[in-house]
Amino acid sequence: MIAAILRAQFLSMRPGSNRGLGLGVVSAVFWYGFWLFVSLTAAFFAAHAPADMLPYGVPLGLAAVCIYWQAMPVLSASMGSSLDLRKILVYPAPHEKLFQIELLLRVTNSLEMIMLLGGAVIGLARNPACGGLKVLPSLAGAALVFALFNVLLASGTRSLLERLLARRKVREVVALLLAMVWVVPRFLVMTGTKTTWLQGAGAAMSAFGWPWSAAARAALPLGQSMGSTALSWLSLCIWVGLAAWFGRTQFERNLRYDTLAAQATPLKPASARTRLWSERFYRLPGILWSDPLAAIVEKELRTLMRSPRFRLVFVMGFTFGLMFWLPMVLRRNTSHSGFLAHNFLTIVCIYAMTLIGQVTYWNCFGIDRSAAVFYFVAPQPLSRTLLGKNIACLFFLYMEAIVLTALTFAVRLNFSPAQAVETFVVIGICAMYVMALGNISSVHYPRALSPERVSQSGGGNRAQALVALFYPVVLLPVVLAYIARYAFDSDAAFALVLSISAGIAVVFYWLAMDSAVKAATSRRQSIIEELSRGDGPVGS
Amino acid sequence: MFPEAAATAPAILVRGLRKFYGTKAAVDGVDLEVPRGSFFGFLGPNGAGKSTTIRILTGLIPYDSGSVELLGYRLPEQDLEIKRRIGLVPDESLLFDRLTGAEFLEFVGRMYGLARPVAIERARGLMDLFQLHADRKIIAEYSKGMRKRVAMAASLIHHPELFLMDEPFESVDAVGARLMKDILMDQVQRGATIFLTSHVLEVVERLCDRVAIINDGKIAVCRSMAELRSAGESLEDAFVRIVGAEHQMERLDWL
Repeated sequence: MIAAILRAQFLSMRPGSNRGLGLGVVSAVFWYGFWLFVSLTAAFFAAHAPADMLPYGVPLGLAAVCIYWQAMPVLSASMGSSLDLRKILVYPAPHEKLFQIELLLRVTNSLEMIMLLGGAVIGLARNPACGGLKVLPSLAGAALVFALFNVLLASGTRSLLERLLARRKVREVVALLLAMVWVVPRFLVMTGTKTTWLQGAGAAMSAFGWPWSAAARAALPLGQSMGSTALSWLSLCIWVGLAAWFGRTQFERNLRYDTLAAQATPLKPASARTRLWSERFYRLPGILWSDPLAAIVEKELRTLMRSPRFRLVFVMGFTFGLMFWLPMVLRRNTSHSGFLAHNFLTIVCIYAMTLIGQVTYWNCFGIDRSAAVFYFVAPQPLSRTLLGKNIACLFFLYMEAIVLTALTFAVRLNFSPAQAVETFVVIGICAMYVMALGNISSVHYPRALSPERVSQSGGGNRAQALVALFYPVVLLPVVLAYIARYAFDSDAAFALVLSISAGIAVVFYWLAMDSAVKAATSRRQSIIEELSRGDGPVGS
Repeated sequence: MFPEAAATAPAILVRGLRKFYGTKAAVDGVDLEVPRGSFFGFLGPNGAGKSTTIRILTGLIPYDSGSVELLGYRLPEQDLEIKRRIGLVPDESLLFDRLTGAEFLEFVGRMYGLARPVAIERARGLMDLFQLHADRKIIAEYSKGMRKRVAMAASLIHHPELFLMDEPFESVDAVGARLMKDILMDQVQRGATIFLTSHVLEVVERLCDRVAIINDGKIAVCRSMAELRSAGESLEDAFVRIVGAEHQMERLDWL
């Protein structure tokens, strides 16, 4: 039974279709090749690390391994490349076996960490400062026990997070917090305001008592007494015991967990005042345009606002985006901080535009794919649908810009209202370029997206390649305006080139629209087929 | 329950079953007895509690109160004994999208304890029987009808005593539906019990010997097809009357 499930797991990790087989093999070779390189690098550094670096370097390295090990199974599960144990519940498998399988799955999800640990063990065994090959048994033993600890903890973490992510709203908050976790240390380091706190945290991470420090001390008994080494092993074993208890209890709770019941938790009804304001917002297109365009824009606004996946990227635009870019401005000692500070709002807004693009303009039919079928049979030209979707996206983009402007004022960055106006103009022009390209991408590389899944990539491989390749190219006319300002030291030059860019954007947008509509007409069947794939609202 | 007693117990025996989602009772005091060897249709309008009941019977979700016995074994205490004996045609979410049809069938066979060569052999046979392409297409690339066929094939691989089927004929073409009906009739003749939900009342009327209609989480009627026919009412008429949908036939002025 275990063999059957593991085989299914490995088969599930293949690329989704024969068409993508080559790309999948290349991705796998690249991925594991990258980790092989990292492992060899770790082996090299471990082999040549000076003796005084080992006592704090090894625990910190193991702590990083531990964090990655906990995060990876969650990410791989939400991207669909992992076997969902709940699907196995219908089969006659005892819970003990299911738990064993769960642990084995956590191993298969983290092969790169096993490679890395292997590399570190080999490197440390070759390091004369560690005592040479005679420490290999204790190194390998501690690495194995540490791996077991991580596997057990990862099982519990994944089970716990799965239950949390099954709940409305909580899923978005957790996903946002997970994203912020990656950016907060960088924020603190780059702003330089909390270095003492960070040093303290680093020292605390390598202090005795943590599983990684216990594993490091058990692996390398450098200058320790026998009693101290034994205590490290005991500490490590206690951590393994706690992880086993945590993993097993969380796993059992997960098996009994009723996702539907959690999702059915009654929502607090919105107050009349809230309903009034949200209705006013949704009805706004009706004031600005006539039907059917207004109806399309209104429908898009409602759909996107009700999609957890969109809400997450929208909120990330003015939280994660701000945290990501702010440190660069606050670092005053860099040569380019002047440019960044001057154009901070524009840069963050374009970053936010990039974030929302994955669920809006790059793959505009993907998130509400059942509506795509309607758009193809509705008595309206498809250009109107694409235009409506683009306008809805612009609505949200300018909402992001307004929030970011307010936040930028709040953090007291030195910029004028004129700069805010400039930002609003620039992002409008940039949006025309990227939406033009996005419309073409949406009809050539449509991909079904689940509005509920908050960590699925936004487009197919080819669409992502297209984005990576052409994104800088399409924004080049706008970049030229900034170059003109820099070269001539003149705002007039900037305005002139920007005006020309805007003109080109309008022409480019309509040409791209024409091309997208023609492509959509000829590819209608394949677009609908592509959007019907998978386990989302249409496929099920 | 002892194995001898289990052998004579009803295929499904449900008493006072309740399941709440928040404060709403999706299943509200359901009593149900499905005799062995019967072809049982479980009907109801959308949101009546059909899928919740079937998910409870398959052990996928817990229930809040009542008792459930399948083939004489109590759920959840003896869930392994039950799972070994049932064949499930679930909603599509339980398929493994990234496996090919043959790989999925082999996997299911092995999960039910078949030796690998036996599972492969049976998978091959079922692929042929259900006219599923034996190419490298993964299930994600199957049409809806093919997905139902592969789910049906998977439910047969271990020769179960009881089939629990959620809309098995949905999206299946006429040839496929005919094949599936023939197979199910065959299974009933060998003594298996079939419990299915369907919105296609003609199919239920033709295949089933007993039906139950659930409405608002409660069993509104549970009787044999013969009893229904003797009342001079078609299943569709009875269904519409029981679920109280007649008033919806009123025409709008502008229509």
